[in-house]
Amino acid sequence: MTLRRITRRRFLQTSGVCSAGALGFPTFVPRSAFGLPGKPSPNSQFVIGQIGTGGMGATHLNNLLRFEQEGKVRLAAVCDCDDNRLQAAWENTGKRATPYRDYRYLLERKDIDAVLIATPDHWHAVQTVHACQSGKHVYVEKPASVTIREGQAMVDAARSNNVAVQVGAQARTAKGAWQTCRAIRNGIVGKVTQVTCWHYASPQDDKPVPDSEPPEGLDWDLWLGPLPWRPYNRRYAPGTFRWLMESGGGQIRDRGAHQFSTILWCMDADRQTSFTVEATGTVPKKGLWDTAIDMHVVYQFKNPDWTLEWGQPGNKVGQTEFGNVFWGDTGHLVLEWEGGYRPANPEAVEFQLPAGGKEVYRTDEYEDFNMNHKADWLKSIREGHLRPAVDIEIAHRTATLCNLGNLSMLLGRKLIWDGDRQEVVGDPAANRLLSRPQRYPYCL
Amino acid sequence: MTSSKLPTNESLNRLIAAIQDGDDDVRGSAWQDAAPAGAPAIQPLAALFNHMNFEVVRSAQRAAQRIVRHAGRPGAQPEAQAVEQELLELLTNGSALVRREALGWLSEIGGDAAVAPMARLLTDPECREEARCALLRLPSAGVSLVLRDAMAKAPESFRFALADALRRRGEQVEGYPSQKLTPTRSTAVR
Repeated sequence: MTLRRITRRRFLQTSGVCSAGALGFPTFVPRSAFGLPGKPSPNSQFVIGQIGTGGMGATHLNNLLRFEQEGKVRLAAVCDCDDNRLQAAWENTGKRATPYRDYRYLLERKDIDAVLIATPDHWHAVQTVHACQSGKHVYVEKPASVTIREGQAMVDAARSNNVAVQVGAQARTAKGAWQTCRAIRNGIVGKVTQVTCWHYASPQDDKPVPDSEPPEGLDWDLWLGPLPWRPYNRRYAPGTFRWLMESGGGQIRDRGAHQFSTILWCMDADRQTSFTVEATGTVPKKGLWDTAIDMHVVYQFKNPDWTLEWGQPGNKVGQTEFGNVFWGDTGHLVLEWEGGYRPANPEAVEFQLPAGGKEVYRTDEYEDFNMNHKADWLKSIREGHLRPAVDIEIAHRTATLCNLGNLSMLLGRKLIWDGDRQEVVGDPAANRLLSRPQRYPYCL
Repeated sequence: MTSSKLPTNESLNRLIAAIQDGDDDVRGSAWQDAAPAGAPAIQPLAALFNHMNFEVVRSAQRAAQRIVRHAGRPGAQPEAQAVEQELLELLTNGSALVRREALGWLSEIGGDAAVAPMARLLTDPECREEARCALLRLPSAGVSLVLRDAMAKAPESFRFALADALRRRGEQVEGYPSQKLTPTRSTAVR
């Protein structure tokens, strides 16, 4: 084997304790010494910018600051279209990160390797695609997308620009979901033919308010981004975008993105992309919010045959606000929440892998699963394989379940989804709704 | 009311009255059950889009949306065409809100016949971006032609968006490079 053929990973495997210091290099090597813009060398700190700092973005920011303290990343920029939130985030970084209102300034920076996107859902795809096109690795909040075509564009952008895109459905790197996954895959309840989810209802707006001027500091046009322009209303933002179909998609696209991700993992069904979906639901009779209060969705998979049911509220089998039940031919197993914020059922925790059983891989660097999920993302970049635990293709398939559940409810009819062709069979009007017009220049 | 049966004047009047009812339950049930009302309800509903009560406006819009999506179901081509015809008439409505809503719904069910009327709004300063977006959803081959035609006449600032639309349809366009990654907004946080 020539030296040229030895990969870094293989080098590390075979050289054991041989460190950079032992080879005579300084122990800290600047990123620019080995990496190219957007392509950090395995030795270096990742330079990161965060887009969207409110809500879950605050948790992400604190995670990145912890990584920074550990010398693993440098947080170079924070961005938010709301100057009030931006100010708070900037101060949280000790005023060291550069603040931006417009994410495109951040993407212009050649020194930034990767971005973390925690904006409302209607921005996820556009900002991810633009970041990929700028050569940045991406960690983007779930759900991956609000339409099927957005998800496809995100996968294409990640692959064609050779970057890692991790989606923040953190359960696939969390201990609870992992313990459940290995137990289910190794037959703790036998062959699973049905998985049911329960979840509390979405809120409805009992006191609708008229449109008004946006609050000072909020760039409303930039908040809307890809959405058609309309006047500001307090029920859009801050924090309530979740209850609008176009910007949030309700519980099924919010927590469903977590729960379905975990379920597909447990069922080893990431490649089972075709199914039928039939949904019914009750939407609010008044107010701006239009996502389902109650909802029942049935997905039927074939070969192997199994059924996935989203129930809002559904049949609550467990103890907490939402969760999942795997129904097998020898029993059932409950997973509270999505296996991240809540531990696995004791039966899953104590499950011993049978002889010949198959272990399931999980990155295990941090007990805090929010940290661990980001560590998994950084590892995929460091190791060069660029396929983190919730790679964008996996997340796109999860989001497809969420988006088609909503679409079936909106159209009031059963949809037959062809995952290979990425289209609804025999329903041209439904296929048009797989994409949504986006306002220029905030578009894919 | 069944989908194969057109609404009577009486049932249509009941729907329009219920959409304006002050009781949330009455109004909410009316728009949620409006789907089968079909094409005859489109114009009367659009007349409510500028009602002084924003909840009535919202209910009327949602009723019309239900009608459009119901008409688009497989096997209901005559219903879809009847609704499309009503929506096309709304494109010349004096209210920009009505024209914009009609464009959005036509993007869901519009056929070849919708292309030219929708394209006329590419010169409407209040609706041209909505028209561009809506046209992009239509499968009709005629969309590229009307976009190119609009490109020749459009104000300079709108040509970038039209160029992007043409490229999305697989067309070659000289000049007008993408502005998607061009930053424009600075922050007051320093």
